[in-house]
Amino acid sequence: MNVSSAAVRACGLVKTHGQGQSRVRAVDQVDLEVPQGQMLAVMGPSGCGKSTLLHLLGGLERPTDGEVWVAGRRIDTLSERALARMRRRSVGFIFQAFHLVEELSAAENVELPALLAGRSRRQARRRASLLLERVGLADRAWHLPSQLSGGQRQRVAVARALVNEPLVVLADEPTGNLDTTATLEALRIFEELRTAGQTLVIVTHDERVAATADRLVSMRDGMFVDDARLAGSPTRGLGGLIGLEG
Amino acid sequence: MGFIVLIARLVLAGVRRHKVQAAVLLLAVTVATATLALGLPLRGVSDALYEQTRAATAGPDVVALSGDTGPAVTSALASLANEPEVIAHHGPYRIVYADLTTRDSTSSPVVVQGFGETPGAVNRPLLTSGQWVRSGGTVLERGFATALGVSVGDRVTIAGRPYPVVGIAVTAATSIYPWAAQIGPGGGPSDYSGLAWMTRSDARALASSQDLPVALALDVKLRDPATAQAFLDAHRVSTLMVNFHTWQFTAEQDMVILRDTQPILVVGSWLLSFLAITGVAALAAGRTVEQTRRAGLLKAVGAAPGLIATVLLTEYLALALAGDALGLVIARLIAPAIASPTASRIGDAAGPGGATVATATVLAVAVAVLSTLRPTLRAMRTATVTALSATAHQPRHRPWLTALSALLPTPLLLGLRLTARRPGRAVLQACSTATTVIAIVALLTLYAQPERGYGLDGSSALPNLRGEHDRRLMLTVTILLIALAVVNTITLTWTTAMEARANMAIARTLGATPGQIAAGLSTAQLLPSLPGAIIGVPMGIGLLSLFAARNSAEPPSSWLLGAALATLLATAALTALPARLAARRPVAQTLSAETA
Amino acid sequence: MQDAVLAMLAKEPSHGYHLHARLRRSLGPLGESMNRGQIYVTLARLERAGLVVCERADGLPERPERKVYALTPAGQQRVAAWLAEVGWPKPDLAEFHLKLAAAAAARLADPVELVAAQRRELLRRLREAQQAALAEPAGSGAGLLLEGVVLRLQADLRWLDACERAWSRVDDEVEGA
Repeated sequence: MNVSSAAVRACGLVKTHGQGQSRVRAVDQVDLEVPQGQMLAVMGPSGCGKSTLLHLLGGLERPTDGEVWVAGRRIDTLSERALARMRRRSVGFIFQAFHLVEELSAAENVELPALLAGRSRRQARRRASLLLERVGLADRAWHLPSQLSGGQRQRVAVARALVNEPLVVLADEPTGNLDTTATLEALRIFEELRTAGQTLVIVTHDERVAATADRLVSMRDGMFVDDARLAGSPTRGLGGLIGLEG
Repeated sequence: MGFIVLIARLVLAGVRRHKVQAAVLLLAVTVATATLALGLPLRGVSDALYEQTRAATAGPDVVALSGDTGPAVTSALASLANEPEVIAHHGPYRIVYADLTTRDSTSSPVVVQGFGETPGAVNRPLLTSGQWVRSGGTVLERGFATALGVSVGDRVTIAGRPYPVVGIAVTAATSIYPWAAQIGPGGGPSDYSGLAWMTRSDARALASSQDLPVALALDVKLRDPATAQAFLDAHRVSTLMVNFHTWQFTAEQDMVILRDTQPILVVGSWLLSFLAITGVAALAAGRTVEQTRRAGLLKAVGAAPGLIATVLLTEYLALALAGDALGLVIARLIAPAIASPTASRIGDAAGPGGATVATATVLAVAVAVLSTLRPTLRAMRTATVTALSATAHQPRHRPWLTALSALLPTPLLLGLRLTARRPGRAVLQACSTATTVIAIVALLTLYAQPERGYGLDGSSALPNLRGEHDRRLMLTVTILLIALAVVNTITLTWTTAMEARANMAIARTLGATPGQIAAGLSTAQLLPSLPGAIIGVPMGIGLLSLFAARNSAEPPSSWLLGAALATLLATAALTALPARLAARRPVAQTLSAETA
Repeated sequence: MQDAVLAMLAKEPSHGYHLHARLRRSLGPLGESMNRGQIYVTLARLERAGLVVCERADGLPERPERKVYALTPAGQQRVAAWLAEVGWPKPDLAEFHLKLAAAAAARLADPVELVAAQRRELLRRLREAQQAALAEPAGSGAGLLLEGVVLRLQADLRWLDACERAWSRVDDEVEGA
């Protein structure tokens, strides 16, 4: 596969935290290539380095060693300023704690990345209302995050991540703070994104979230231990799931 | 006992944890109380210095002066000396109006008093260096000599005749330099003059050689110095032109040079206290979250709300009182220099009186109480459970802000939102800026005043000491105010940055550059500074008009505009530093810290 | 299957094709693989057991189907008994557990590898079930069934995680020793 067709690529990625005795390899020699349109889930127990990996891919942290490429461009050597610019165009983040700006209404939160990317106010507003409608929150656009439920907040965060039509969306435990109903809504949205061909990397320990992905890598102690393709034609019909196989 | 130990331990821990805050509080209170303690007893210090000079120089109770000369005047003055209330006298003696030029060509009006070579019973000028007058030599009054920069051994030219300066002395019989003349030639108005002494014959020779104007004077000592005014009233009926100056009047005259000093110091101390309160309140606000958590913790282990409030207040009170004590000591040390800008008086200022100590202490306590009031009340109100999970409070939605921010560039939008989140802090910043601008306006106004120098014909070769003294004091007060305002601005920006770090980290993940974040934080501080600077100018002018003379000049509006602009620019520059530091924090770390 | 067909006849006598349609409607996408033949085989068995009777109705010209099935009293009793029953299918975990133990004991295969393979398989099934569940409109009966399947698979996956942890530890200890 040539370099440019991969939305995100990492080679020999290493990230260590701490120094001396307490030095921890959060990410240890990871090679990864996410082609455009693929939805990748990274699973593993907490502390396995999956969040750090996500931060490295989005340029929020700098690797100790190795390379990170986003949209065919190496980003681990970029300045903070250039990284910020790269994030505007190419990366959308979704976090477990939602991380909405509490002072801004839902619509303003969604507009924010668009404005940072230099879109006009009218354009930003139009994109925001479109996306809020898509996540089913058109009637809550002017609510503050504190007036929204956890599920609604996460949907605002999803809309915000999508507003600049990023090449890749990076989601860190997106359902970690959600109840069952809200998780289902979130799963529905991720499923929609997958069918729409959005490149997506989701870090999760929820099997259901992982199961929406086309591909699943498992991480232990900073390393990939399994890489499974979930997509493809099912071996038997759905009836097999409840023992109805003919 | 255990209770006190516990409080002391918690207070010490608090101070150790917040060394910078403790230092700022201590400094702010010290500066404010020192200024107040200098300003309040100014009259007392001035009077004390006069008293000491009077005692050391056998100062007269009344000086009778006449612009006329001749036998009638001489006999009228001599008859005064024979009044029953008079127990001693000196004179009549000549006062010759001349001019004096130093070797480096500084010229000044001078009055020359003809004295005996051996001092009399009353008005015995005290030599601070050199010797008393002898034939051909002159003694200069110390305030005058200091202004001229002349010392013993130098030569001066008086009315064209050269004299060696043989001594330097002080007297309580005349007002301080440059009001030594007391009356002008022929009883008319007098110029700013210095004072010199010569022997009687030298004075006579000087007067006659140039036909200089002459006045006569008599110093008397009364049985009861307190009756000086009565003595004066009883003898005013004379048909001759005789002016009487009581010793009380002369002492009062010493205050003329300090006319603006007291308002500068007292109002300055209020402004400094105000800034101290805003600054310390900003620091306290920064600690609110932590403080609330601590209060919750103490409550959870069974401490009464009273203990929590006591610990918080004790910490601030202890620091404020330490600052108070320090301020009073500083005031004590520099009071004579402030109360006596000329060298015409001798002596030490007594320690600040009970009233001053009480007022300064009240000020210090007020700073401590006012700046901790809100956090203390909040900590006491907050329920234990909510306190333990305390985080920043919920923002309110302000639709007008939404409308307004829709028109602004993104960093400004962020800044505006941050400002709106903490309206109290915005008010503090505005107040801080306004106070600074008030002080700068006052300083500029002082510099804009036209004034006569003390030299010949108002030449400023000899500078106007009063104006110089006022300007120097105002400059000091302004510098102190600006220093406090700088500390305030940095504290407020840092506090805002620390509170906003989660939002700023989020904005970074959305593609905001560190520069944009820093600009947003700066804006959050700059926005409230703008109205502060605008209000500060008219407030400064208004405040000054309460104290200024009717004919005082206003500084050009370009100066005022420049001052406001410079203040804003300085604020922008000051906020940039903490904002930049805050913007450099790694994003991922902040985000994980917020989630945890 | 037999009980379910019987219970569906409790409402009213019904044609075979009608029964098939009702079953498929209840099962939604899960019932797609069920063919009509299975229904007739089941019905024939039930008839032989005396639980249903088959009546030949006068067929309409356009409807070739003429057999209508109805419950016998024995069939009604059986339905009532079925409804009262609280039996629950037992997940067969013991087999997989024994598979791992045997593989480890005889060094036939790495148990951790077996778990991983099983996990991949269950995740694929989970993905299928979930996609089907998400495609169902909210409140559909079939959606509810799919949700059950998903939760069941999720529970199995969690058990596999526990297996993996346990067998990795065994591995580590062996390596350590």
